[in-house]
Amino acid sequence: MRDDVASFARDELTPGAEARDRDSAFSSDLWRRCGTIQLQGLVIPTEYGGRGLDPVSAAIALEGLGFGCEDGGLAFALCAHMLACCVPVWKHGSEEMKRAWLPGLCDGSLIAANAMTEPSSGSDALSLETKAVRTAAGFRLSGHKTFVSNAPVAHVIIAYAAMPGSDDAPAEVTAFLIPRETPGVRIGDRMEKMSLRTCQMSDVRFEDAELPADSIIGQPGGGAQIFAESMDWERSLLGALHVGAMERILDRAVAFARARRAGGESIGRLQAVSHRIADMKIRLEAARLLTREAARSLNSRRSSGLPAAISKVFASEALVKSATDAVRTMGGAGILVGSGVERTLRDAVAATLYSGTNDIQRNIIARWLGL
Amino acid sequence: MNASSDSEVKSVVRQFILEEFLYGEDPAALEDSTNLRAAGILDSIATVRVVAFLEERFGVEFEAHEMGAERLSSVSDLVALVMAKRGAH
Repeated sequence: MRDDVASFARDELTPGAEARDRDSAFSSDLWRRCGTIQLQGLVIPTEYGGRGLDPVSAAIALEGLGFGCEDGGLAFALCAHMLACCVPVWKHGSEEMKRAWLPGLCDGSLIAANAMTEPSSGSDALSLETKAVRTAAGFRLSGHKTFVSNAPVAHVIIAYAAMPGSDDAPAEVTAFLIPRETPGVRIGDRMEKMSLRTCQMSDVRFEDAELPADSIIGQPGGGAQIFAESMDWERSLLGALHVGAMERILDRAVAFARARRAGGESIGRLQAVSHRIADMKIRLEAARLLTREAARSLNSRRSSGLPAAISKVFASEALVKSATDAVRTMGGAGILVGSGVERTLRDAVAATLYSGTNDIQRNIIARWLGL
Repeated sequence: MNASSDSEVKSVVRQFILEEFLYGEDPAALEDSTNLRAAGILDSIATVRVVAFLEERFGVEFEAHEMGAERLSSVSDLVALVMAKRGAH
């Protein structure tokens, strides 16, 4: 399965990646092609149109995607869609919501965006200001979300808002599924980024958007836990993409070090180079083990938070280091567009920031340790 | 409601919170009505740890909407929720 996904990614998704990255272009055609093998629904049960993979199998498939797909933005967009949007609907949506939305979200016909971060609440995600008030027909949403991946191309938005409780009880975070065409939903201009340029990102504003009662995901007040759970899935399984990418750039580095000659011998014979590549291999295998353990923990009800944070920190920072090492190994050739490694390094930087920054992950780990 | 079970649950909950989040502190600082979030004793991660402990220890399950800070704000709230779930089984 891993090899099948890798081959599909190499043959279908990588061609044109350089130009798409240069132009910050998202390919709807490639998105639909991914839907033909249900990449968007790897973990979603087959009864809802997904592939029904367990988390570890999904991690292995995503290693293949990371290995074969050199369009890091597209690979990330697929995972953000699946893990931050499809998983909450699958785990907490009503049966009607699941049957109405998951098939399209899995088959490539729909794109979802997760709207949590706000201009004044990023790492402190739950201090959001977007508000949802009850109306006779459902809810009215008002607020401003930022850094929303996939928003410019999304058909549906998963958004989190503070909803006042009854009888003057404090507001509780609640999750909503909102079709893009809902009046009052405003998608902002595409943001220009250094990383993951083919994954479109923008602000989203809700201007007294009227939502039907069945737009809620789960129950009022369930949003914080629904979001936290989706982040455990992201932190665990996005690391598998990084593992695949590390494997790819390791192969590039080894090939270059064997072929490039200096002083009458392959530079791979020089310890400064070989040790750097050996460290890339060490990081790759350690990240693979941590990521698969984090994926395995997703099967448990409450034990995924710590392994997810650990694997997220390690895999993302390993990818940055290994991509840097690959560039250094290739020297001047490494920074050329088309080298196969410079874009991986640029994309890797975002990995230390999304799904909760690595600073926050270290906070999470410390809290799990009782500190 | 069985009074001894209620006090047993309270004892277990208090011990867990004192040992995990108030180590080195005076146990008297934790009252039944102490607002655990406002007092900085529980944050989102600590809440998950408390819920995981309660689920395993008492064989109950919490839904996502039952894990908000406002619903698990005190020892009394935690005990009441556990007792309600046990009584429902």
